[in-house]
Parts: sequence; structure tokens; C-alpha cells
Amino acid sequence: MIKPRLNHLIVLLLLILFPLVVKDAYYRHLMILVLMWVTIGSGWNIIAGYTGQVSFGDACFFGVGAYTAGLFAHKLGLSAWWGLALGGFTALAIAFPFGWICFRLRGAYFALATLALNEVFRHMATIWESLTEGMVGILILQTFVSKVPYYYIALALAVASLLTIELVVHSRLGYYFVSIREDQDAAESIGINTHYYKMVSLSFAAFLTGMAGSLYMNYMGFIDPEVVFSLHDISIMAILVGIVGGVGTIYGPAVGAFVMVAVQEVFRTAGFGALRALTRASGWSFMELVTKYVSESHVFTFGVLVVVVILVMPNGLVGDWPKIKRAFGLGRSRG
Amino acid sequence: MEVFWQTLVAGVLKGGLYALIGIGMTLIMGVMGIINLAHGQLMMVAMYLTYVCFHYLGLDPYLVLIISMPGLFLLGVVIQKYLLNPLLKVESLLPENQVLMTVGIGMVLTEVMRFIFTSNYLSVKTGYSDATFFIGGVSFSVALCIAFFFAALLTAAMFWFLIKTDLGRSIRAVAQDVEAASLMGVNAERIRTMTLGLGAALVAAAGTLLLPVYYLFPDIGGPFTRKAFVITILGGLGSTVGAIFGGITLGLAEAFGATYIGMDFEDMVGLVIFILVLLFLPGGFKRLTKV
Amino acid sequence: MRTSRLWFVVLAATLALVWTGGALAADTIKVGVVLPLTGKQAKFGEIEKNSFLMALEEINGAGGVNGKKIELLIEDDTSKPDVGRSAIEKLIAQDKVIVIGGGYSSSVTYAMCAVAQQRKVPFVVNTGSADKITEQGWNYIFRINPPVSEYPKGLSTFLTEVVKPETVAILYENSLFGQSGSKQFSAQCEELGYKVVLKEGYEAGAVDFKPLLIKVKAAKPDMVYMISYVMDAGLLMRQSKELDLNPKLFVGGAAGFTLPEFFKNAGDATQYVFSATLWVPEVPYPGAKEYYDKYVKKHNQPTEYHGAEAYADLYVIADALKRAKELTPEAVRAALVETDMMTAFGPVKFVSYGKKTQQNSLPTFLVQWQDGKLETVWPKNVATKSFVYPVPEWSKR
Repeated sequence: MIKPRLNHLIVLLLLILFPLVVKDAYYRHLMILVLMWVTIGSGWNIIAGYTGQVSFGDACFFGVGAYTAGLFAHKLGLSAWWGLALGGFTALAIAFPFGWICFRLRGAYFALATLALNEVFRHMATIWESLTEGMVGILILQTFVSKVPYYYIALALAVASLLTIELVVHSRLGYYFVSIREDQDAAESIGINTHYYKMVSLSFAAFLTGMAGSLYMNYMGFIDPEVVFSLHDISIMAILVGIVGGVGTIYGPAVGAFVMVAVQEVFRTAGFGALRALTRASGWSFMELVTKYVSESHVFTFGVLVVVVILVMPNGLVGDWPKIKRAFGLGRSRG
Repeated sequence: MEVFWQTLVAGVLKGGLYALIGIGMTLIMGVMGIINLAHGQLMMVAMYLTYVCFHYLGLDPYLVLIISMPGLFLLGVVIQKYLLNPLLKVESLLPENQVLMTVGIGMVLTEVMRFIFTSNYLSVKTGYSDATFFIGGVSFSVALCIAFFFAALLTAAMFWFLIKTDLGRSIRAVAQDVEAASLMGVNAERIRTMTLGLGAALVAAAGTLLLPVYYLFPDIGGPFTRKAFVITILGGLGSTVGAIFGGITLGLAEAFGATYIGMDFEDMVGLVIFILVLLFLPGGFKRLTKV
Repeated sequence: MRTSRLWFVVLAATLALVWTGGALAADTIKVGVVLPLTGKQAKFGEIEKNSFLMALEEINGAGGVNGKKIELLIEDDTSKPDVGRSAIEKLIAQDKVIVIGGGYSSSVTYAMCAVAQQRKVPFVVNTGSADKITEQGWNYIFRINPPVSEYPKGLSTFLTEVVKPETVAILYENSLFGQSGSKQFSAQCEELGYKVVLKEGYEAGAVDFKPLLIKVKAAKPDMVYMISYVMDAGLLMRQSKELDLNPKLFVGGAAGFTLPEFFKNAGDATQYVFSATLWVPEVPYPGAKEYYDKYVKKHNQPTEYHGAEAYADLYVIADALKRAKELTPEAVRAALVETDMMTAFGPVKFVSYGKKTQQNSLPTFLVQWQDGKLETVWPKNVATKSFVYPVPEWSKR
């Protein structure tokens, strides 16, 4: 059973209160993105972190979920919210052929196959204009102008993902997943149907990621193949969220999501405009140069962050938390 | 019929260049088992090096091969030694950390080049950039023919190197069985470093040869990385001959796909073949030829 | 649990940054601009940014807007729609801009306009050209540049009067710009009675267009029309030359075909290639040549129609700001509706026609590359040189 811990409840309460306290649409937008990434990252974590199958193609599920929502509105004229409900299921449907193709392979081959499938989906979405409108994309008008309802839906989704992981990990399923990760052949030899459990794991990942995709469609109002099937911005980002946060930990993706979105935006906006404000206040042209370089180097910084994290904290912020504490001289025995 | 022959020629010539890109990666994948997702970015760096040598030193790209190959070899060695080898010693849940490291490295390389050269599109125009000759109505690009020739040369050299030299044999040994090789006295770590260097040098050659007929900007790496691993899988990990077959097969598939299905399917064709090979011929061509 | 402590700390730090980053209010008028400053389109983003800044300097130098200076807040959309949307959100919610300019890539612009419309802040688009952008009935969205379907306007009279082609091949890049532009042009060809013998898209960045061009050669079209960005355009022409592909004429749909890089990359393969264009420095609009010369002098690099669009955009915005009854988004919008002015890019007046609303309608021109220079060749009254047609075959040059 899930034991609610005080810290978690406090964080949850803060998150629930967040939109009531922070009225700025921009920060709400960022938090919605964070929550969305918590969901996607958690999904990836199940299949990769716990089951050891490092997928480079989660964008397939995301995109399928997004297009489900989008096409409901665009082609059927129904509310895209139906898509939110069904996005997870269509992604689930995709998971079966996806798994069938990819699970025959292991390790690097598996990763490559998922990558290839990601690109295939993207190309198909671009070419199959009669279904997806190709690069013209799908635009729908959002149901709510205010961000608040979207925030709570994203929050609900994120909490649901974390609860799912918590339940799964502490159950027999979790046990099987980890055994597959540690040594698939040994697991098979003691009678665990690895193919079946890999599919189960992938199903969780697909469902969660698909739901995140449909949320994206409903919230952003615009998608096109480059955006939702993006190898770099969705699949690899999911992996980074997982790795930076900590694979194989429950809350890793949550932390990772927050850090990754924060880093991206902090650099892109040069400290949310803090640097710009400093420039104005101080009047130094040197500051202006600094601001310019900081905001234009956000990708560079991202890359450096990835390199550093992998070298120094391969188990992510959560996984290597004891190490980090020690580095800062805060070592304590209980982590 | 002319369409058919022209497509064939286009595919083969492009395939030669692809093969060169693929050999580098197949070596890396075969020896180290990592997917080098920065492969295209290494090529991009070589292309910038070529550009600089051409514009500021007036060197013909074919001469620059002498500079770009060793240059990238060094870069590869540095990357492996300081960024990738350490990972092998790090305790982590997932072995795929190395792959992700290459993603990070690729990003950093791209942005550094963007910082130095900005996002401008650059090109290198030589006398032979557009030169063609015709055989029976089919046009052959001189530059691509030369590139093909060099690719063949380098491939043959690689082949000889791997079979006949000690270092080459050590590399193959590590690719086959790291532990056994170490027991036989091979310094696996050093071999890995050499391998990444070699792989980088080969893709540098591809870049230098490609520049006269293409163009250059910082983001050019991505698509080539993808092609590289398609070729690697097609040919079989660690197999140079496989990479040649893989490269030419991909070149032909893309060309015929573009002509007979549609150019917007060009990339799809490669991807579909890739998946089919992964499913039905997991060892790649290597399995068929045992080389 | 340590994780939550970490959250606390980071959250607190972020909030602290928020309040410092918040407006250090100055008595300026805030105008937002969103452009691709990084990523693949960074080069054009840079040209537009420089042009915006040039216009800003001039406008503020001449007294600003009714005595107040304009403050330009430029955000990077990194060529991605969702980042563009973030940028707009930030400009509106945090920086409280009252009007927005910019918008380069069609798909990013489209996504951003949806946000601006929803938040009721006027957006004066200057480059994003997909027709859709002004076909949604969005009353807060204005566009000073013509939609991609109108790019070949200058071309059509040339075709009907001089060339009279029977068959056309259309090649386009697989992006919103290419896909929508090709659809439109294809429809126009049908109307004019020209048969479209080949219409094919390609992924931008291809190395080898020969498979495509061989098909074009086999189809023997009178005219080849291409919607491409500059490097693809360069390769298309070079490889057409290599294949000895000789239609009666090659026409580019603006974009890549009118940029100096096209010539730098394709050299003599650009000879006699026509293109539609939205603007050249020699257009008969006051300030055009001066803008060009000043830009070249300041940045040591040429500028082209994207820059002119950006430059004019700020002038249009400034003009509306001057006439606005008060400095609020609604009032600025109302003022924009009444715009009727001349800029270095051309006359600007927002009209509605067909499905479009609040769209500026401009003539376009036909240019032709002659010996490495882009000459305006049609309509005759603005031509700098006469056109070369019929075009000699590759082998006969």
C-alpha cells in the first residue's frame, strides 16, 4: 500500500495551491510543462529505468496521443477532450506492434529500432496529409482561456503517473521488471515470461505518454509532425528527464522534469529576465553582452549539463542524492 | 530507361560516401557497443575544418584530407579518453549512459561551431564542384566519383589494417570478446580510444569529400548520424565490407525510392529497410558473408 | 525526504528570480518581437532582428511615439512552435507588451498567433506566409507581408503574356511553407490552363536531388517551379545543370532563390533563373534603397526582403501606437485597423478579401539572376533590366 509521507503531502499541497498563488500565465505555463514531463518521464522510467529497455522512441506514443485528440476535433468535430480520454488507448494500441518489432532486439539494437520507429512515425505523419494535414498541422481552439483547468488536469495526470509507478514498483510486476533489467536471460530461465512482461511495461509507458500527448494537444492547441514526433524534443528529452532525475527511482522523473524545463527556460530567457533587468539597472553594456550570450547559449548549456550529469551523477539527482550531499559536505547516514 | 540508369548511378555514388560514414560508426559500434549519436556532428566539425583550410589557406579539399583526418582522430581520442572511457567505470543502472553522453557531446559540438561560425550557410566551390561527364546520356558527378574512389581506397586500407596489422587485430579481438582479449594482453581501454579516433577520422574523410557538393551549417550532423546507423545495422556491426554493402544499399534504396515512389519517401525507405533488417537479418550482411 | 527539500529550495530560488526579473518599470512603450535567434533559421532571425533594431533607433531618435520611447523586447522562438508560444506567453503575461511583431516560420507564427488572439494582444506578422494565418478570422492578427499563395503574382502576368507554358513541374520542401505554397500554385496553374505534370515534395536538406530531377527531365515540362530554401535551391540548380535539364524556364517561389547565398552556393547554375520576390532594394518605395545601404554599411552584410519586412513592421507598429487613443492592446488594435501608410517594404493597408482578413496586399515582382546579380525584370515599369527569355540551354552557354 502507499504510505503517504508528510513531505509528499506538503509538496502536493503546494502544487495544488500554486495556481492560486501565482497568477502569472507564463509561470503557470512552465509548471504545466513540468507536470507534463513528469508524466512522460515516468512513463519512460517504467520501460527503461525499471525494465531496462531504453526506448528512444517515446515520441511515437506522445504523437499518437496528440493526434488522437487533434483529429477528434478536426475531423470528427467532437471536443478534443474525447481525445484526452482516448489518447492513452490509441497509444496503447500502437504499443503492441511497436513492442512486437522492437522487443526481439536487445540493448543498443533495441534503442536503434525505437529510434527508427520514431522517425518512421514522423515521416508518415508528414506525408499522410489526408489524415494528419501534414506539415500544415492541426490547430484547435482551446476550450479554456485560463490556464488553471489545464494545470489541474496536468497535475492529476502527473500524480496518477507517480502513483502508478509507486504501485507497480512495489508489486510483483515491479519485481519482474527489475529482474528483466538485471538479467533477462536469467529471468527467462526461472520461468518469467519476459516478452509478456516487457509488453506490460511498455503498455504502461505508452498509455501515460499518450495521455500526455493528448493533454498537449488540448492545451497547446497546435501540433504538427515536427513537434509531437520530434526525436530530439520529445524522445531524447524524455530520456534526459529520466536520467537527470534518476532512472529506476520513483521520483526521479519528477525532479528531472522540473530541472530540465527550468534549465531550458532560465537560459533561454536569461534568468526569466533577471539578467535583462540587471542590465537595465546597471546600465553596463557588458551585462548586455552577457545576457545575449546566456540566452543564445541555452542549447550549449543543455548539452554541457547532459555531459556533466552523466559523468558525475549517472544515477541522476535522486539516485545519486547521497553522493551530492557528500559533495556539499552535508553527509548524513539516512538518505 | 535513362531514368533507371541515372538513378542507379546516383545511388551508387552517394552510396560510396555513405559507406565511408558507415565504416566509422560500425567500427565504433562493433568495438564498443555504443551508438555514437554524435557521429554526424564529428563530420560537421571536419567540414568546418575543411572550410577554414580552403578559405584561409587556399587548400583544395582533397589535400585537406591530410589535415581533417588526423584532426578528427585527435578529437575522437580526446572524447573517448576523457568523456567516454570514464563512464565505463561509473556505476550506473543503465548501460545506455554512453549513448546519452554522445547526445550531449553532439549538442555541445554543434553549439560551439555555431558560436564560432554562426548559423550561416557556407559552401566550398572548387573547379570540379559541378563538373560532370556523360556516358550514354547518364550524368556522372566528378566530385562524387572522386569521393567514391577515395571511399573505396580508405575502405580497402581499413580492411588491410584490420586484418594485417597488430593494432587492427587487437581491435577485432576487443570487438569479438573484450575479456578474452584483455586476458591476451590487449589494453582494451587504449583500443577503445584508438577506435573512436579511427571512426572519427573516417567520418571526417566523408565530410571533407562531401563538402564540395553540399553545404555546411551547424545543424547538418543529425540526418547523417541516422543514415550512419542504418548502414551499420545493414552491414553488421564491426564489418567494413558490410558497411560498404550497407552504404551502397542505402544509397540505391534512397535513389530508387525517390525516383519511383516519391522524393518525400526518401528517408522512409531507408528506415523501413532498417527495421526489416533488424527484424529478419539481425546480423546484417555480415551474417551472410562472414567477414 | 530530501527530494522535497530540494524542490523547496529550487522553487524558492525561482520565485526570487521572478520578483527581481519583474518589471523595473521605465517610462517606455513595450513592444514584443519573436524571432528565431537560434536554431536552423537563426540567420534570418538575425537579419530581422538587426532590421528591427535599426528601425527602433531611427524611430526613437526622431522622438519616439508622442515623446515616449519604444522598448523592444526580443524573444527567441528557437524555430519551434511550442517555444514560440512560451515566448508569447512570457511577453504578454510577464513583460506586459501591448503589441507584438515578428513571426518568421509559418508554423511557429501560426501557433503564436493563436495565443496572441486568445490573449487579445495585437500581433503584426511580418514574415510567416502560410495563407492560413490570416484566414481564421482573428481580429487581433495583422500581416504586412503577402501570403505565400500571392508570392507568384508578379509571375502570372509574365507567364500569360510572354511565356505561355503548357506544362509545369512543381517541386517543394515538405514544410508548411512548401506544402501550402505548392498547393496554391498548383491551383493557380489549373486556372490558367497549364498542366501540372509533376508535383513532388522533398525533405529539406537532401544531398542528392538527381532522382527527383531525372523524373522532371523525363516529364519534359515547359516550366519548373520550386519552393525551396536557399541551400536546397542551390543544390537543385547545380544538379539540374549537371543533368542538363532544360525546361523553358526555372522559377523559384521567392525565399531561397532571392538570397545572395543562392549565388554563392550555385554560382553560374543560377544564371537566368527567375524568381518571384517580395522586395528588392530598387523598388519604387521611399526609404527602400536607404534601408539597404544603411544596413550594408552597418553590418557589412547584405540584407533582403525578410529584413525589409522587419524594418517596415516596426514603422507600422509605431504609426499605430501614435494614433492609438490609449496605450492598451485594444486601442492599438483599433489603430492598426486604420493603418494606411507607405513603408520601405511597400504600402501597408489591412484589408479583407476572399477568406483573408487584415491582410496587406502587395504586388510582387519577378526577378532574374543575370551574371550574379538579381535584376528586377517584370513588370516592365519597375524593371532594372530586360528579361532574358527564351533561356539558352546549359550546354549552349
